[in-house]
Amino acid sequence: MSVAETILDFVRLWGYAGLAVAVAFLGYGIDRIDEDARGAYLFRILAIPGAILLWPLVIRRWWVLETGRDRWPPRHRPPRRSHGVAALGMLALIPIIFAGALALRQTLPEDHAPVRLPIGEQTR
Amino acid sequence: MSVKYIPVQWNRNKWFYDAVLIAAVGAYLWIFLYLTPSLLGHERPIDRQVHNARAFGSATFLMMTAILCIGPLARLDRRFLPLLYNRRHFGVLTVFAGLTHASYIIDWYYAFSMSDKYAALLFSNTSYDRAIGFPFEIFGVFALLSLMILAATSHDFWMKFLTPRVWKSLHYLIYPAYIAAVAHAMLGVAQDLHNQTFAAVIGVCSALVVGLHAAAARAEQKYGDPKAEQTKDWVRVCRVCDLREGYARVAELPDGDRVAVFLHEGKLSAISNACAHQNGPLGEGRIVNCLVTCPWHGFQYDVRTGCSPAPFSEKIPTYRVRVEGGNALVDPRANPPGTPVEPWPLEKADA
Repeated sequence: MSVAETILDFVRLWGYAGLAVAVAFLGYGIDRIDEDARGAYLFRILAIPGAILLWPLVIRRWWVLETGRDRWPPRHRPPRRSHGVAALGMLALIPIIFAGALALRQTLPEDHAPVRLPIGEQTR
Repeated sequence: MSVKYIPVQWNRNKWFYDAVLIAAVGAYLWIFLYLTPSLLGHERPIDRQVHNARAFGSATFLMMTAILCIGPLARLDRRFLPLLYNRRHFGVLTVFAGLTHASYIIDWYYAFSMSDKYAALLFSNTSYDRAIGFPFEIFGVFALLSLMILAATSHDFWMKFLTPRVWKSLHYLIYPAYIAAVAHAMLGVAQDLHNQTFAAVIGVCSALVVGLHAAAARAEQKYGDPKAEQTKDWVRVCRVCDLREGYARVAELPDGDRVAVFLHEGKLSAISNACAHQNGPLGEGRIVNCLVTCPWHGFQYDVRTGCSPAPFSEKIPTYRVRVEGGNALVDPRANPPGTPVEPWPLEKADA
C-alpha cells in the first residue's frame, strides 16, 4: 500500500469516526450541555462539518462540560499576544517565500527557438 | 445575540454585506474569465478547466487577502469596523471559491490517472527534497483544509462550546493558511515566466497584509491599553478626571486580563473588557441606556451587572470599583460573570 493510500485511508477513518461523534453529540449530547441548543434543530446541520473535522476536540469539550469541569475565567481572556506572533511570522516568512520562489523561476525548453547545429557539432 | 440558535441571524446589514460580497466576487470572476485574457497571458492556448481553476484560485487568494486586511484596518481606524461585522460570511464564501478551484484542478490534472484521483494528487510529485519542482500542491491542501476548519466552526454555537479563547486560537490558523497560500501560488502559477501579473499581484497583496499587520501590532505596542498600577490590594486604572460620561478607560491587570471602567450618570462601574461573544473590546464601546455595546458585533451588557438584557443570556465578569485621591481603583479579583456591583458615585471633589 502506498503512502498516499495510507493517508487517504486515515482521512476516511477520521471522517467515519467524526460522523459517529457528530450523530451522538448533535443528536443527544448537545441538549445536555447547552441550553441555547434545546429545541433548536436546524442549526445542527451547519454544525455537522465542524463536528466531523474536530471530533477529538468535540469529545473533550463535551466531557469537560458534562462533568462540570469548565472554568469561567479563561472564557474572558482573549489570546491577544498571539497576534504579534502571527504578524512576526508573516513578516519573516512571506518575503523569504516570495523572493525564493522568484529566484527559482527558470525558462523551459519550449521557450527557446530551435537552433540548427552545424554539421559535425550534432554529435557532441 | 443568542437565545436559541438559528442557522443564520439575518438582518438588513448582513443581507447588504452578503449582496455586495457576492456581486464583487461575481464581477471579479467575469472580468478574469472574459475581459483580461491578454493581461493574464491567456491568449496562449489554455484549457477551459485551467482557466476556470485560475479564476477561482486567484479569487480565493484575493478574498483571503481582503479578510486578513479587515482586522488590522479596523484596529487602526474605527471607520473599517463595519467590514468586521460579517467577516464570517466572507470566510465561508472564500472556502466555496477555494473548493471550486481545487475541484477544477483535481478533475483536470488527476482525474485521468489509473489510481484514485485524490491519491494521485498526493503521489504524483513527491520531490519534497528539492526546491525546483517542489510539490506546491501540498501548500494548497493545507490552506484549504485550514479554511474549511474555520468555516465549519464559524457558527456562534462553536464559540460558546469551545470558549472564545480556544475558538480564537483555532481561527489563528488563518495566518499559516495565508503563508501556505502565498507559497502555493508562488511555487505554482507564478513560476510561469511568460506572465508576470500573478507574481506582481501576489507581491502587492502579501506586502499589504504583512504591512497592515505589522502596523497594527506596532500600534498595539505603542498606544495599547496601559498596565494598571498596583496599590496594596487594589490597582489604579486611571485618574477620574480622565473619564468621559458614557465611555471607559481600559487597563491591563496584573494577571493579564483587561478591565474597562465606565463613567455612567456620574457613577463608576467596572466590567471585563472582553465580550462573551468573540472577546471584542467592550471598553471601546459607548453606553446607551445603561448598556454598553461591543463595537465588533453589537452584543450589549449592563455595566452594573455584566448581564445582557433579557431575553439574552450572555454574561461577563464584573469588578469592584472605588475612588481614592482622584484615582479610579479596581479590585483585580474578578467577580463571576453576571455578578451585580453597586456603582461608585462620584463626589464633586472627585470629578
